[in-house]
Amino acid sequence: MKKNLLLVEHLSISTVVLVILFGLIFSSFSLIQNVWTDPQRYFSSELSVSETQFYVVYMALVLISVFVSYIIYLLLTLRTRAEIMVLDKTKSLLISLDQFTKLYEGAPVPYIILNKKGEIVESNKAALRFFGVVEKEIIDKNIFSFQPKEDSEKADKFLQYYKSNIPINKEEIRMITKSGEVKWVMLSVFEMKDLKDPTHTGLATIFDITERKQLDQAKTEFVSLASHQLRTPVSTVKWYTDMLRSGSLGELQPKQTEYIDTIYKVNEGMIDLIDLLLNISRTEIGTLKMDIKAANVIDITDNILVELSSQIQEKNININKQYNNKLKNIKSDPKLLRIVIQNLLSNAVKYAPQGGEVGIIFKDSLIEKTISVSDNGIGIPKGEQFKIFTKLFRASNTHDSQGTGLGLYLVKSIMKTIGGDISFISEENKGTTFTIKL
Amino acid sequence: MEEKNTEQNKKKVLVVDDDNNLRRVLVDKLSLSGFDTAGASNGKEGLEKALEWHPDAILLDILMPIMNGQQMLKELRADEWGKNVKVIMLTVIEDANSIAQAMEDGSLAYLIKTEQTMDEVVEKVKSMLK
Repeated sequence: MKKNLLLVEHLSISTVVLVILFGLIFSSFSLIQNVWTDPQRYFSSELSVSETQFYVVYMALVLISVFVSYIIYLLLTLRTRAEIMVLDKTKSLLISLDQFTKLYEGAPVPYIILNKKGEIVESNKAALRFFGVVEKEIIDKNIFSFQPKEDSEKADKFLQYYKSNIPINKEEIRMITKSGEVKWVMLSVFEMKDLKDPTHTGLATIFDITERKQLDQAKTEFVSLASHQLRTPVSTVKWYTDMLRSGSLGELQPKQTEYIDTIYKVNEGMIDLIDLLLNISRTEIGTLKMDIKAANVIDITDNILVELSSQIQEKNININKQYNNKLKNIKSDPKLLRIVIQNLLSNAVKYAPQGGEVGIIFKDSLIEKTISVSDNGIGIPKGEQFKIFTKLFRASNTHDSQGTGLGLYLVKSIMKTIGGDISFISEENKGTTFTIKL
Repeated sequence: MEEKNTEQNKKKVLVVDDDNNLRRVLVDKLSLSGFDTAGASNGKEGLEKALEWHPDAILLDILMPIMNGQQMLKELRADEWGKNVKVIMLTVIEDANSIAQAMEDGSLAYLIKTEQTMDEVVEKVKSMLK
């Protein structure tokens, strides 16, 4: 509408300018005609000096008027074009602003605008819904005052960050709503420049992660509970048989010792299985935590070999150790690395033939550190090799040996967690070599 | 409150565990190893016993009814006598958070029951009380 008015205004002024222009041209036309038809009269000495001056001035005025009118016309045209352009831009800006306002107001994520002190000056509807308040209840309150009292140290720290213009990026904190409900949120606060009001300096976004946190908690509790329920009875059997075996309660008959030893051994197997299941659960629910520190792979391996010594002796297996001293001190998670090496070594011992050979080779090159565990046992059938790391997989040629089909699955999961890799080569009836890259 | 040996020269060890069988075998083993021992079946009972009896060391389970081991340890550390007593966590819980929390709250060792033989537990107590 404004655009049409501008065009009408432009047209009217242009018409007036043109009418004046043509009027001047017409009025001078008869004069030009007279000069043309009778030049002697106008340029003879009959005319007085003042008359000649008048005609010259008149002509000059006409020319100046034409020039000025043309300039005015040009300026008007330019002004109108600029105004129309501004109008178009304003319209698209208004559309953008409208779209932004709708997005801001209707967004499911709470957005909060803060002043320099961290006090709330404006918020969208999602923020009001999150805190369970109406706008006036939230305005002027400090955003960091919504943290529970026991988190006040954290709240003070973040307020200082904010005042020092340090961005608060995806911090997982607790916030308390009007009803007193404590929610876990991921808070981000960034510096913002508001041209309309320079006192508005921060934009806070709040993601409600309460459900995710509760789920994480439930997962951790599940593993703790499973640990408790499963490990307590096996600990009892372990310690009671331990007491009997140690002779603290009197010497046992040889047959009694044999029976007690069997109970102890079977129970140890049960403990290993429970540990395996718990570790599988931890990797699957994502609660297997890494603790990176100095790990002595040589000590870890030697300890495992001591644990496996009875099986090694029983099968008369020759252990071929090729250690590299550089692996005495590497950065890794010793506990997780132990599970990996323990699984690979116990598999090698389990599947090596009577009087067979198990090799442990450490390599440290410029590119990578590797540990290889090999055996000259039954090997893995070629057609089944692609399934070797899948859960509950057992090769078709392993019917003689006990196993769960979980060990290599866990090993693969752990290597993924600690950022390493595992590969293998195997030939049926010749043996298998597993190699882990650290 | 359970088994107790009151000889003056013996070091006193309190076993706090809600599992009767485990508590009994620990008390028996420690008594046979020359310690003056007592048992408690939860954190509350353990705390009361510890503040009254002043043991030299406490073997403390984590998951227990009424008051768990972590709460008991915190309460203990808030007490003038209790802040210096030697505490070994002896539990089946193995998650990194529990271990870190126990160490932060002032436990001197964190042992997993299934990983320890009876002799190893006794050795740990002995080395701590040297």
